[in-house]
Amino acid sequence: MAAALDGVFREEWGRITAALIHQTGDWDLAEECAQDAFAQALRRWPGDGVPDRPGAWLMTVARNRAIDRLRRGRTYRAKVEELAVMAGREAGDTASTDGSLAGADGSDVVGDERLRLIFTCCHPALAMEARVALTLRTLTGLSTAEIARAFLVPEATMAKRLVRAKQKIAHARIPYRVPPASALPQRLPGVLAVLYLVFNEGYSASGGDDLIRRDLCDRAVALTQVLAELLPSEPEVSGLLALMLFHRARQAARVDARGDLVTLEEQDRSRWDRGEMELGRRHLADALAARRPGQYQIQAAIAGCHAAAASAAATDWARIARLYRVLAELTGSPVVELNRAVAVGMADGPAAGLALLGQLEAGGALGGYYLLAATRADFLRRLGRNAEAAVAYEEAAALAGTGPERRFLNARLAEVRARR
Amino acid sequence: MQYMLIHAGAPGLDDAWNDEAWAALNAWLDEAIGSGVSIEGAPLRLDADATTVTVRDGRLIVTDGPYAETKEQVAGYDVIECASLEEAVGWARRHPHSWMGSVEVRALAGDSPVVHLPDPPAAGKTRYMMLVCTDPAVSARAEPAEPWVAEMSSRGVRLFGSELAPTGSARTVRGRDPGAIVIDGPFAETKEQIAGFDVLECADLDEAIEVAARHPMARAGIVEVRPFRSLGEE
Repeated sequence: MAAALDGVFREEWGRITAALIHQTGDWDLAEECAQDAFAQALRRWPGDGVPDRPGAWLMTVARNRAIDRLRRGRTYRAKVEELAVMAGREAGDTASTDGSLAGADGSDVVGDERLRLIFTCCHPALAMEARVALTLRTLTGLSTAEIARAFLVPEATMAKRLVRAKQKIAHARIPYRVPPASALPQRLPGVLAVLYLVFNEGYSASGGDDLIRRDLCDRAVALTQVLAELLPSEPEVSGLLALMLFHRARQAARVDARGDLVTLEEQDRSRWDRGEMELGRRHLADALAARRPGQYQIQAAIAGCHAAAASAAATDWARIARLYRVLAELTGSPVVELNRAVAVGMADGPAAGLALLGQLEAGGALGGYYLLAATRADFLRRLGRNAEAAVAYEEAAALAGTGPERRFLNARLAEVRARR
Repeated sequence: MQYMLIHAGAPGLDDAWNDEAWAALNAWLDEAIGSGVSIEGAPLRLDADATTVTVRDGRLIVTDGPYAETKEQVAGYDVIECASLEEAVGWARRHPHSWMGSVEVRALAGDSPVVHLPDPPAAGKTRYMMLVCTDPAVSARAEPAEPWVAEMSSRGVRLFGSELAPTGSARTVRGRDPGAIVIDGPFAETKEQIAGFDVLECADLDEAIEVAARHPMARAGIVEVRPFRSLGEE
C-alpha cells in the first residue's frame, strides 16, 4: 500500500497543487489541501482499497478541503463558487462507473494547469535557487526538509527561500499562466535549466544523502517526461529527456564498490541500463526529426554516441568532436571547448588535444577549474611526458573539491610518478 | 520645478517603523498635500520583489533583484513642487524617512510634469515603479526615449515619468533634524545610478517586463521594475 501510494503521490501531487493554485491563487492553501488529501488516502485506502481513479479521488478530497477552509475564512466567495463547480464535476466523474468518461474532459484541463505551474515556478524573475526549490516543493511534492537535505542547506533557510519565492509571485504579480507561443522560445530554456540543474544535483555530487540525491534524478526525469508530453512540439524538451535518460542509464556503473568514480572509459558497460538507453534513443530521434537543433539535443547526441559504443575503444570520437564543435558555437561556453579538446585528443591523438587546450588556457576563462588541469595532465600522461603530467595532476588534485574526484587524480599522480 | 524624493532604508526598515515615525509621516503628508507641495508619492516594495531587465546583444535578460546591490534599498518616493533645491531639501529634512534611512533629492529634468494619480489602480492592474538606471559597463549610447514614451503612454501602461537631473546635483538627507546632515550626491555609492523613472500600470509582471525591455535604456543601461505597495498592505 505504501508503495502504491508513493506512486500515486508522485503522479498526482503536481496536478492537484496546480489545479488548486489556479482556482484559489493561494499557494500555501493548495499545498496544505494536497497534503490533507494524501493523509486521508493513507488512512482510508488500506481499509477501503485504492479507488478506481485515485487521482480524481484525491482531487475531490483536496478541493472539498479547500472549499471548507475558504468558507471558514469567510472570504473569496467567487473562488469558493468556482471550486464548488469544479468539485461537483469531479465528484460526478468519480461516481460514474463508466470508465469511458475517465480523462476525456478533466485530464486535458488539468494538464494545462500543470504546465502553468511549471512556467510560474520557473519564472525568470525568480532567483534560480528559488525556482528549483519551488518546482520541487510544488510540482513534485518533495518536503521542505527533503529539499533542504538534497541541497545541503538548513531547513529554515530552505523554508525562508520558499516563502520569499511565493511572496514575490504575489507582490510582483508574476502571472500564473503558460507564456504565449511567441514568448516560448525565450521562456522555455529557463524551465529546462531548472530541470537539468535538479537532475545534475542528484547525478553529479556524491556528497550528502545519496538516497535523496538519486531521488532528485528520478523526479527531474519524471517532470521532464510530463513537460515533453505537454509540449510535444518542442524538440529541446525531448532532447533534455533523452540526455537525462542516457546519463541515468550509466548511473550504476559510475561509482565502484568503494564509492570511487569510474571514468566512462573504464566503466563496466554490461552494467549500463540498455532499456533506458533505448528509451533515450527514441526520444532523441523524435527530437532530431523536428530539425530544430539545440544544446540539449546535441548533448544528448553526444551521450548517445557513448551509449552506442560497445567498448570504449569503439567510441566514434571524431563524431563526438564534431558535435562538440557545433555545441561550442551554439553556447560559446569554455567548458564545452574543454570537452571538445578531450574529444579531439581521443580522435586525433593527445598532441592535437593539447594544442586545442593551449588556446583555451591562453583565453584564461577556465583558470582555477580542476578539469582543465586534469585534462592537460591526461594528455601529457598519454604522451609519456610524465614529469609534466605529475605537476598537472598535483595542480588538478589541489583544485578538485570532493572526495572521489580527488582520489582519482591522486591515483593517477602516483601512476605517473612511478613511471618517471 | 518638480523634485523627486527617493526614500531609501536598510532591509529591516519595515520593522523599525514605530508610532512616532507614522505620526511624523502623517503630519508631513498633511502639510505637503495641504500646501500643494506634494504632487504624488507611494511606498514601494523592497529589493526582494524587484526585477531587473536588460537587453544585451539582442537577448532579453530578466533577473531577480534590484538594479544594484546597495546597502540601503529604495522603499518609496514622493514628487514635490518647489521653488528651489534648497526648499526641496527642507521638505526632505522634515520627512521621517530621513531618520528611518535616507532621502535622496533629485530635480526632474523632463518637460512633462508629474500629475496626481487616481487611487487605487484600474481593476486587475498593478502599478510598478520603473527605475531607469545607467550601467558604466555598457558603452552603447541610448537612443531617444520619446518614441517609447509616446507608445507606452498611448497604450495606457505608462502613467508618467521623467528623466532626473544628473547625480552631481543630487542631495541626500540623513538623520533627524536638527541633527540631519545633507550630503552631496545620491544615497547609493554604486557605479550604477538612477537616471530617470516611469510609473507603469500593467496587467502583470510579464507585461511590465515587456514594456521595460523595450525602453532604450534596457540596451544602454539597466531597467528595474518594482511593484508599488498599497497602503495598509503587509
